[in-house]
Order: sequence, then structure tokens, then C-alpha cells
Amino acid sequence: MSRSVASTYPLIRMRIAIAGKGGTGKTTIAGTLARVLARGSREVLAIDADSNPNLASVLGIPPSKAQEIVGLPRSLMQRITSEDGTTKAVFSADPEDVLRKFGVVGPDGVRLMVMGKVGHGGAG
Amino acid sequence: MCGAHATVRGFLGEIVARAESDRHIIVDMEAGLEHLSRGTGRHVSRLVAVLEPYYRSMETARNVATLASELGISDVVVVANKVRDEGDRTAIADFCRAHAMQLVGEVPFDSGLAVVERSGGAPIDAAPGSPAVQAVIALASRLSQPAVTA
Repeated sequence: MSRSVASTYPLIRMRIAIAGKGGTGKTTIAGTLARVLARGSREVLAIDADSNPNLASVLGIPPSKAQEIVGLPRSLMQRITSEDGTTKAVFSADPEDVLRKFGVVGPDGVRLMVMGKVGHGGAG
Repeated sequence: MCGAHATVRGFLGEIVARAESDRHIIVDMEAGLEHLSRGTGRHVSRLVAVLEPYYRSMETARNVATLASELGISDVVVVANKVRDEGDRTAIADFCRAHAMQLVGEVPFDSGLAVVERSGGAPIDAAPGSPAVQAVIALASRLSQPAVTA
């Protein structure tokens, strides 16, 4: 039903960030949107960048599988020093490798990646 | 500077830079504003601010929209969620008009969805015909247009 609707979408590639106050249902909309779009002609990568991640359940990934998801490790960022002596952190891995290693595939083929734990003191 | 956010930002920057990566990317952002102010939004082409029909939520969406445009995301749109009646609809429409925010979609309040979410399931699997899921399907179609019109 919705599959035939989705397949009529134009082929533009979307890079959408969804924001809003906690409790507004942004995750419900983000996850459902991801599933709907994944029924079209392009693969969908969903990134849970909320420090209280629960996109997996809205995507329909079972809790047992969701528990096994490993957030992106910070070690992927490496500090480099440029010629003028300033240092900056750069992403130092092949993103497709990272996706294969840390991404989880859910219903409709949506690939989910989750942010690593936010490290402010005492958070738990 | 938070390492976890920086890592996501680094990953996003790399993956969107690749021409061969033609996936749609949807990022569920931090609930507050701190995430945006750290620049993750730079690598996305459109920001969807979700708001509910009450003042604080609308104000947050307005702040998000302002920050996003400061970060260079010119395409900021608004989706109203949990809309119950004409009063809600009018309040949101008035707010968006007053702050020059582009409202592109509306998802109705749907008590059925709350039941699904309490049980931890996916709304699109558990309640595919529900008004809220149907509204998101319509929204997907609208967001698929290069320039969204209300």
C-alpha cells in the first residue's frame, strides 16, 4: 500500500536533521519517516544522535538486537597537528567501513547508527 | 566539546562527501539545542523542527530554526505534531507566520500511537493505518520535493 506511494517519490537524495524539544515526538517522526523512505528506491541511513537513544524501537528493531548496538567510538576521531602547530580532531576512518561495522539493519532495510555515549561527568 | 557529538559530526561529514553514497540520511538530533550549536547540522541540507502546539515547544523550534540558519542550513521547515483541533492548528499557523517559519506538515494527536510506543513497537508496523502514520507518509512525499511548499 504505502510501498507503491513511496516508489513514486522523486529521486533526490535527502539529508535531513530532525530536531525539537524533548517529548515532541521527533523520534517517532524521524523513525517512521526513515521506514517510509526506505520503501522507495534509495537506501536509508538513520542516525540516532540523541544522548538518550531510542530510534531503534521506532524503527522496529527488536530490543534484543538494539541492545547489541555499539555507539560510534570516539577513537574514530584522531588529533592531527598541522604545519602551523594547531591541532584539530579529524574523522580517521572509511565511513563505509564504519557503517558496516557499527550499523545495524532493521525492517525495510533501514540502516541505523547510534552516537556513542555522551561523556559529561556523572551521566549514567 | 563533546567527543560523542564530534564523532557523529565527523562521520556525517565524511559520508556525505562521498559521491557514491546516495542514501537518504535522517539524523535524529539531540532534544535540546546543544547538539545543533556544536555544528552537526552543517552536513545536512534540511532541518525539520518538530513542534507541539504549546508555547515552550514552539519557542524551542524557533530557536532551533534560528541556530540552523546561523549554521548555514537555509532550508528549515516546521512539522506540527500532536495536533488535536482547530485551535491547535491556528496557534501553530499564527506562530509560524509571525516568525517566518515554513510549516510543511501536520501530524494529528493519535492516542493509538501512544499505546504502540509504550509497548516499544514501530508505529508503522503496529498501526500502519493510524492517522499519525498516514500523516508521516504524506510528509515523506512532501519532504521529497527539492523545495518544499506548504
